[in-house]
Amino acid sequence: MSTLIAIGAGIAVLGALGAGIGIGIATGKAAEAIARQPEAEGKINKTLILGCALAEATAIYGFVIALMIIVMLK
Amino acid sequence: MKDLAKDLMEELNCETVFTIPIFGGIDVSESVVVTWIIMAVLVLVAIILTRNMRIDHISKRQAFAEMIVTKLTGMVEGMIGPNGRAYVPYLTTVLLYIGVSNIIGLFGFKSPTKDLNVTIALAVMSIVLVEAAGIYHLGVKKWLHKFTEPIAIVTPINILEVFTRPLSLCMRLFGNVLGAFVIMELIKMIVPVILPAVFSLYFDIFDGLLQAYVFVFLTSLYISEEIEE
Repeated sequence: MSTLIAIGAGIAVLGALGAGIGIGIATGKAAEAIARQPEAEGKINKTLILGCALAEATAIYGFVIALMIIVMLK
Repeated sequence: MKDLAKDLMEELNCETVFTIPIFGGIDVSESVVVTWIIMAVLVLVAIILTRNMRIDHISKRQAFAEMIVTKLTGMVEGMIGPNGRAYVPYLTTVLLYIGVSNIIGLFGFKSPTKDLNVTIALAVMSIVLVEAAGIYHLGVKKWLHKFTEPIAIVTPINILEVFTRPLSLCMRLFGNVLGAFVIMELIKMIVPVILPAVFSLYFDIFDGLLQAYVFVFLTSLYISEEIEE
């Protein structure tokens, strides 16, 4: 049973995949934008950090669900 | 590893500190007490900073207080736009409360935002404010009509959004605070010296303040979306 719980929690954390891809794309685009317009760096950085915090949410949901699987089913 | 699991369970459960002996006993949990401490600190700081305010020849303390208020309200106003100026004080208060409660873990208290009930309450307050702002600014008829925009077929999704928005708000805040806590515990278990201090800068201070900002940003985004004609 505990093996199955561990596998389930591991699958739930797969949600982090989306966050990784999303933040990667966002950072790449931000680097491009700064290269094009270095004077707008402050604004771009602010938007990037905000976007990363929002994109991170999917990974966090995965983490919360994994934790809940472990805690509730144990 | 067994210790960690036990610690985690302990942190997830919010224990009752004491019970108020009226109406058959009201349980007061730890997060409520820490919230009172935060309230006391914030109110005390506000009273100290705003004593003896003058129009000319201002003191350094008053200049500091004015700077904080101008910066914070300016930031929130930049997010919500000029139409939602009435909601700026509430949002700034929530920003201060979440920000302080996220970093109060550094001082040995248990963060109130690590209790799911607190984040649920904050999210429900947000969504009630959003919908009330919509009704207040547009009137009931227009507010109801807004559910059928842009086309009638998306109405179920728009109604669903009323429930998913607070859910995502509260889960984001709770998950981030809890996640930061778990990772910090793991780091402390592996390397107990120096390294936790470095990571604590990111996970406790930066991430905590960022999540407070994100919470207020999303709430103000929803409000400004709701009150536009």
